Amino acid sequence: MSLEKPVPDAPDEVGVTEDGLDYDALEELVSEHVIDRESHVNAEALVIRPDAVQDTLSALKEEAGFDHCSAVTAQEYEDRYESIYHLKKFDDPTQQLSVVVPANKDEPVSESAESVYRTADWHEREAYDLVGIEYDDHPDLRRILLPETWQGHPMGKDYNQNQPQVVPLREHVNPLAEDHSAGEDSDTMFVNIGPHHPATHGVLHVKTVLDGEQIADIDPDIGYLHRNEEQMCEQSTYRHQIMPYPDRWDYTPGGILNEWAYARAAESMADIEVPEYAQVLRTMSAELTRIAAHMLALGTFGLDVYGDFNAIFMYAVRDREAVQNILEDLTGQRLMFNYFRLGGVSWDVPEPREEFFEKIREFLDGLPEYIEEYHNLITENEIFQLRCIDTGILPPEVAKNYGATGPVLRGSGVDYDLRRDDPYGYYDELDWNVVTEDGCDNYSRVLVRMREVEESAKIIRQCVDLLEDWPEDDREIQANVPRTLRPEADKEVYEAVEGAKGELGIYMRSDGTDKPARFKIRSPCFSNLQTLPEMSEGEYIPDMVASLGSLDIVLGEVDR
Amino acid sequence: MVESAPLPETFSDLLGLEQFGVAGEFLAGLLAAGLVGTFVLLNTAVAGPWAKRKITASFTDRISVNRVGPWGLGTIIVDSVRLLSKELIIPEDADRPAYDLAPLVLAGSALLGFAVIPMGNGIQVADPEVGLAYVFAVASIASLGLLMAGYSSSNKYSFLGGLRAVAQNLAYEIPLVLTGASVVIFAGTLQMSEIVAAQQETLLQLGPVAIPTWFGILNPFAFALFVVANLAEVGRNPFDIPEAPTEIVAGYQTEYSSVYFVLFYLGEFIHIFLGGALIATLFLGGPAGPILPGIVWFTIKIWAVFLFTQWARSALPRVRIDQLIEIGWKGLLVLSFANLILTAVIVGVVGV
Repeated sequence: MSLEKPVPDAPDEVGVTEDGLDYDALEELVSEHVIDRESHVNAEALVIRPDAVQDTLSALKEEAGFDHCSAVTAQEYEDRYESIYHLKKFDDPTQQLSVVVPANKDEPVSESAESVYRTADWHEREAYDLVGIEYDDHPDLRRILLPETWQGHPMGKDYNQNQPQVVPLREHVNPLAEDHSAGEDSDTMFVNIGPHHPATHGVLHVKTVLDGEQIADIDPDIGYLHRNEEQMCEQSTYRHQIMPYPDRWDYTPGGILNEWAYARAAESMADIEVPEYAQVLRTMSAELTRIAAHMLALGTFGLDVYGDFNAIFMYAVRDREAVQNILEDLTGQRLMFNYFRLGGVSWDVPEPREEFFEKIREFLDGLPEYIEEYHNLITENEIFQLRCIDTGILPPEVAKNYGATGPVLRGSGVDYDLRRDDPYGYYDELDWNVVTEDGCDNYSRVLVRMREVEESAKIIRQCVDLLEDWPEDDREIQANVPRTLRPEADKEVYEAVEGAKGELGIYMRSDGTDKPARFKIRSPCFSNLQTLPEMSEGEYIPDMVASLGSLDIVLGEVDR
Repeated sequence: MVESAPLPETFSDLLGLEQFGVAGEFLAGLLAAGLVGTFVLLNTAVAGPWAKRKITASFTDRISVNRVGPWGLGTIIVDSVRLLSKELIIPEDADRPAYDLAPLVLAGSALLGFAVIPMGNGIQVADPEVGLAYVFAVASIASLGLLMAGYSSSNKYSFLGGLRAVAQNLAYEIPLVLTGASVVIFAGTLQMSEIVAAQQETLLQLGPVAIPTWFGILNPFAFALFVVANLAEVGRNPFDIPEAPTEIVAGYQTEYSSVYFVLFYLGEFIHIFLGGALIATLFLGGPAGPILPGIVWFTIKIWAVFLFTQWARSALPRVRIDQLIEIGWKGLLVLSFANLILTAVIVGVVGV
C-alpha cells in the first residue's frame, strides 16, 4: 500500500522493541539524572535533575534516537516550576518521550537544551517570557513574544493582571530609529524589515543587517500579534469554549486542521471514541481546508516573487474560492469554521446530499486543469526557476534540528507526515502518498505544496465516495459526550496533528475542573520561522523575502 | 504619407506669426509644445492609470473600477481629487532642493523626449538632425531624478531603490542605445522623420496586403532586444527591481506623498509611453498605417506597447538584482553589439 513509510535501516536505538518503546531501558540509559517517573497519556515521562538537561537530552538524542524536540512546555505549580521537553522521532513519531525538568519555586533555573536541540532556543525564550523559568547556558535569553519592558510573566501564578504595563516607544524598539549596532565605520547597514512591510505576511519584524544587497545577519522579532491564546484556552471549558480558538490561530484558513489538534488532544485525554462516519467527515473537511491554505500559500508566494499586480495571486484566490464555497456549505462559515466537536462534528453534510457531493466532485474534476495552469505559469517559468532553485537552502539535518515540520521539512526531503506516521482520523484507511522533494530550496517547498494539493484531492474523492455509500441509519456524527467534561485531575497529554503548516501540537494538563490547568500550543510556524536566519544569511534580500514566503508562516499562529 | 513640416511652422503659417520675428517663433513653438504636451498627458495621466487598472484586472481575473461613471471612467476624476488632496509629508531629514526637484526631473525628462517624436499628420514639435540621440539623452536624465529621490529621502529603502535604479539603468541604457544605433545604420540618419520615412517602402506584396519595410520586420532580432531593454529602462516586470514593493517597500518613491507622488507616478507613465513611442518610431513605422490617419495609428502603437508592459507585469516574476545586472552586462550588451556589427556588415555588403 502506498501509505507505508519506507523502513529506515534498522537503527541501533536504545529502548526500541517489537511492541513499542521500552521506557525502562530509556530510564536506565540516563538513570544517573532521573529522579522520578511520571505517566502521561501519550507517553511516559522522565523527571530529571535541572542541572543535567543537556546530558540527558543528548544521550536520548544520540543513543535513543529522539531527534525531534517537538515542543517545550513550561508551567508553574504550587510548589515548583516545570519544563517539559516533548521528544519524538522523525522516523516514527509514535515513539514519544517527555522529559520533565522541575525547577525551584523561588529561583526557577534549569539548564538550557539549546545546545542539543537548536529549536529549544525560541521555545525556551517563550517559556521564560510567559512563565518565568530561566535557562542556564541559553545563548540569548530575552523575551520573545512580549515587549522587552514588560513587567512580570503573565502565565505565572503571582502575575497581577491589573498591573499597568508601560511600554514606551522610546524604550521599545522604534522601527524608524537609526541603529548603530553594526558600528559607525562598518560597511553594513541596519534596516528594519517590518513590522509594516509588504513582504512580511502580517506583522513580522525582521531586524536585518545588510552588506550591500546581501544579508549579513537577520533576527526575526515576533509577538506583534500575541494574544496569549494559551491563557484564553485555560479560561475556557473543554466541551465547547475552546474549540473556536484554534480557528483564530491560522486564518489562511487552516482552521479545521487546527481544530483537529485540540479535538485529538482532548479526546485522548477524556478517552472519547469518535464514530467512524464523523472521522470521514473530519478527514474530508480537513483536507478541503488544506487545499485552501496551500492555495493561499501559493498565491502569496507569487506576490513575493512576482511583485504586486500579478496574476498568480488572483488565480490562486479564484480557485480557492471554490473550496471556500464548499466549506461554507458544510460548516456555515468561511473562515472561523468551528466545525469540530469533541467526539464528532457539528453537522452532517448539507441536504440535498447529492448536490453537495456533486459540487465537490466538480471542483475535484477541475483541479488538475488548474494545477496544470499553475505549473505552466509558475514552476515552468524560467525566471521563476532562476529565482527559486538553489535559494533559501535548508539541509535536512538543519531542518530537523530546528524542529521544522510540514511542507518545509518535506521540501528538504524528510519523509515525515503525521497523517501517516502517527495516524488519526480516517487517513490510514485511504490511499494517498506523502509528498517529498529533495531540493531543500524555495522551489521544492512550493512544489511540495502544489503536489500536496493533488494528494488532498485524492483523499477528498475517496471520502466523498465513502460518505455517499454510507448506510443511512449509521450516520452517527457525534459520540455521546457529557455536557460538561471534567477529566480526572493531573492527566497530562501532548498530541499533535498535521496542520497546514506542519506539526500542530497541543499539551493539556487537567486539574479535575472543566477547564484545563495548562494549555500549550506547539505552533508549526513558530518552529519553521526559526530556520529563516539559516536560510537567508549570505543571500540577497529578494531571496530572504522568497524564503519567508516559502515558509508560509501565518503570524496568528506564530504569536498565538 | 504627407510630407509635412514640424508643428511650430504650421502654426506660424496658419496664424501669420512670421511677422513677429523671434517672438512669433517662440509663440509658435509654445503652442506646438502645448498641443503635444496635452496629447501626451491625455494619454498618460488621464487615460493611463484608468486603463492600467482595467488591463491589469483583465489579466488577473478581476473586475476593477466600475462604480463611478460608465466603465468606471469617473474614477479618473475621483483619483485626481484624491491624490491631490492628500497631505504632503516631507521627511524631517530630507535633503530639500534635491528632494523637491526629483519628481520634476523624472516627469520632465520623459516629457521632453516627446518633442522630437513624429506622431503623424505633421504633429512634431521639432525635427533636429540628431533627434534620436536627443531622445536617449533626455530620457536618461531620469536616472538622475531617481538617484536624487533615493538619496535625498533619507530612508534606507529609498536609498537602496535609488542605487538599484541607477545600476539597472546603467546596465540597460547601453544595449538600448546600441540597438537604436543599428536602426540608424539602416536608415542612415538620426533624424526622426527620416527614420520614419525610411520604413515606408513595401517589402512584400501579399495580395492586397502590403508588408512594409518596418525595421521591426527587417530586423526582428534588434526589435526583441530593444523591447526587452526598454522594459528594464522603464522598470517594469520582470525588471521592476528599483521599486520592488515586496522587497524594498516602494524603492526611491517610499517617502513621496501627495503631489510629489503624483509626479512620480506620472513620470513612470510618461516613461512607459515614451518607450512605446520610441519602439513605434524606430521599429513599427511610426505613424504609418492604412486608412486611419497617422496620429491614430501612432496612438494605437504606443498603447500596444503599454499593453505589453502590463502583460509582462501580470505574468512574469521579477529577477534578482544580481541576475538583472548579469543579464544586462553579459547578455544584452553582447547581443546588442553582435546585432550592431552584423547590421553594419550586412548593410555594408548589400548596400541598402
